[in-house]
Amino acid sequence: MGSPTNIAITGVGAVCGAGLSVDEIWNAIVNGKSAIAPIEQWDASRWPVNISAEVRNVENRTLVEDRKLHKMISRTDMFGLFAANQAVQQSGLLTYHETLDTAAKPKFNDRTGVFAGSGGGNYRSNYDYLPAMSAGDGDLKKFGGEFSSSVNPMWLLKNLPNNVLCHVGIRYGFKGTNACVTNQCVGGVLAIAEAAAALRNDEADRASATGHDTPFEPETVSGYHQLGLLSRDTLRPFDRDRSGTVFGEGAASVVLEKIEDAKARGAKILGEFLGCGCVTEGAGILDLRPDGDGVSRAIELALTDAGISAADVGLIVAHGNGTRASDASEALGIRRVFGANVPPVTAFKWAVGHLIAASGALDLVLALRALREKIAPGIATLKVIDPEVSPLPVSAKAQTPRSDIALVICRGFGGMNVALIVQTGV
Amino acid sequence: MKPKRRIAITGLGMVTPVGNDARTTWANLRAGKSGAGAIRYFDASGFPVRIGAEVKNFELPAALANSKHTKFASRSHRFALAAAEEALSDAGIRPQSDNAHRWGFSVGAGMMAVSYDELKITREFCANSDGELQPDGFIDPRYPADPVSFCRTQTNAGLGLLTQQFGIRGYATAVHTACASGGQALGTALKVMRRGLADYVLAGGFDSMLNPIGLSSFCLLGALSSDNDTPEKASRPFDATRNGFVLGEGAGFLVLEDWHAAQKRGAKIYCELAGDGNSLSSYRITDSPPDGDGPIQAIQQALADAGATSEEVDYVNAHGTSTQMNDRSECAALRAVLGGNVERVAVSSTKSCMGHLIAAAGAVEAGVCALAIRDGVAPVSANHENPDPDCNVGIVRGESKPMKIRVALSNSLGFGGSNSSLVFRNPSEVKV
Repeated sequence: MGSPTNIAITGVGAVCGAGLSVDEIWNAIVNGKSAIAPIEQWDASRWPVNISAEVRNVENRTLVEDRKLHKMISRTDMFGLFAANQAVQQSGLLTYHETLDTAAKPKFNDRTGVFAGSGGGNYRSNYDYLPAMSAGDGDLKKFGGEFSSSVNPMWLLKNLPNNVLCHVGIRYGFKGTNACVTNQCVGGVLAIAEAAAALRNDEADRASATGHDTPFEPETVSGYHQLGLLSRDTLRPFDRDRSGTVFGEGAASVVLEKIEDAKARGAKILGEFLGCGCVTEGAGILDLRPDGDGVSRAIELALTDAGISAADVGLIVAHGNGTRASDASEALGIRRVFGANVPPVTAFKWAVGHLIAASGALDLVLALRALREKIAPGIATLKVIDPEVSPLPVSAKAQTPRSDIALVICRGFGGMNVALIVQTGV
Repeated sequence: MKPKRRIAITGLGMVTPVGNDARTTWANLRAGKSGAGAIRYFDASGFPVRIGAEVKNFELPAALANSKHTKFASRSHRFALAAAEEALSDAGIRPQSDNAHRWGFSVGAGMMAVSYDELKITREFCANSDGELQPDGFIDPRYPADPVSFCRTQTNAGLGLLTQQFGIRGYATAVHTACASGGQALGTALKVMRRGLADYVLAGGFDSMLNPIGLSSFCLLGALSSDNDTPEKASRPFDATRNGFVLGEGAGFLVLEDWHAAQKRGAKIYCELAGDGNSLSSYRITDSPPDGDGPIQAIQQALADAGATSEEVDYVNAHGTSTQMNDRSECAALRAVLGGNVERVAVSSTKSCMGHLIAAAGAVEAGVCALAIRDGVAPVSANHENPDPDCNVGIVRGESKPMKIRVALSNSLGFGGSNSSLVFRNPSEVKV
């Protein structure tokens, strides 16, 4: 492999509309079950778009045990902390930490990095100020005297984009190198990629990396709908009749370790992080290049970083967000790299919705599972493959990965394209 | 291990409360001139805090004024566009079609995307008289839906605008770790270059929270100085009577370039961006650890990363917000790391003049370090009159201090406990 330090994945966690664990989500997907359903968070019965993949029927207490925290963080942070905890618990790092002597413990914490990809700003947090604005009747002078009686004094801290970073650190005592990536859809995958880079460059020995987001709220649904990005019925990636994407919400998290450390402590290795490529198309906030230039460049960079060739890739987890422009250009970008030799391609957003900042992190966690199970799950909503994207090997039926290496593609606003490569057979 | 790739800073751009370009900003910082005053953008007369450090008389430079992209730009995006344009002009190099993919972009972007005026529209159409949200308002035909304004409020809109404007097509990222964002963006840029992913990076930060929501959110936390009658004296980092920071706004961008390539093309090199250190305090969400734990590791890592020792450090551009807790924690960290050198090393907080630029602070202050090294001047830490025994470090008092700076250190310590330290080395100390 190309990298001097191999990076093991020793813990994974996820939460989204399709389930509260990787197992639940995986089972829903292989059973062809989509979490996309009518919106419940508000009465959307009159809305032109009224579907989403919400996380339903979950108590805050289930997500975050510490009740004191509930007023200090927002829903997206709760998902992030919930997924991060699954991954940290699965990794066994906390148990290992307990076995260390007093002198080794602080070093362990200083050498444990924390990375997050966060949805960053949202709209609903600002509505906390609406009562004060109403009380002032639009008059700023009155507003200046009103807000302190109706807004939570901790408002700013509650809405910090870097809360997951902060609270993962506080909860487990991790104090190493860190970053909170607020790069819209690619935030989660870049958090994982930067964590892996920190390990390769010996800035840390292990790291928690989490993508989390709750993009789904009235103002974003309204805004994306205005831009023509949302589907009214369902999400059909690569289908001839695809009509847009559908929001989901949730989080996904991994624990990364230097592979020799993981082996030395007897950790179960779920997979290996091989490489990443990241580029912008430089085409503006929304625009995509129709030729998929960013997709193919990101894939090429990831292959080089991983030290493998295209023929080694056994499975592609596509971004497949179901919009006309993104799926078409993504297919072109994939075909430019793989030619006539494209491995099985699948995508998961039809089942889990589009988790924006958490989307690629969730795809990565599911890609590891797909490799382990040797199944490329079918895209259940796919009826007729768009002639524009064929002959891309996508299917409504399950396919078999042709090797134990997966390529995960994640795209976002700002012309962002990120490709990650992982392997399981280690 | 093979030696680390050496990275040069070859271009600077700033839009700050003390100047709309780097030259003016630097001249005013050297003179200890304050950019704070009564807030003028909006009627802050009913607020408990009525002062801030605003960017004044700002206009987009001619090179950008007619760009079709600027209609998508918010106030802070405009600061970013102007500062980035200045940095590229200053460096004398820009992305070209044959190397655009080797240009990277890394930015610390502010958290506050929705303006007060936009929120007023939401209240008017989508809330009842008690200010409770009525979601159906968004789909009412009367609601003045504005796709441009919606795009502007996306979290990476600044990244999208700047990479498009300047034709950058390589690695691009946006980070937010509150007040540490700008420093972390530069640290990320350094790492991206060392990993060989880019040959040039446009790196910086931008922010403006000087609006009714931003101001009130800091008022609620009690983080701001309420010395409304003496705005120019309100930010007084390390002074025993300090009582909070002054909210600023602005942008800072730097052009980073491979050292040898910069030398080869005869670029002017301000200094080396030599090291990055990064830690989490993991202490409390609201407090800084009084003993400096957290910042200590970040500073130590940054020095180690640069291959520098505390013996070589001559100047520290402190985070120095002028809150009781931050300044005490930071000084404890400086004392711990600098040890016997602590009396000798010049320390200043340029927030004493500029106020706190939040997500832009670390990037602007990195530029200040580059200028301090170039001109051999440690800028004054203004308004330091009453020594605080808890802040017993070598503060640059009264006026700026001419001195050779071999190595400079810049700290950015964020809410949520992210700590970023950057190390800059004088070109005359670079041994290649």
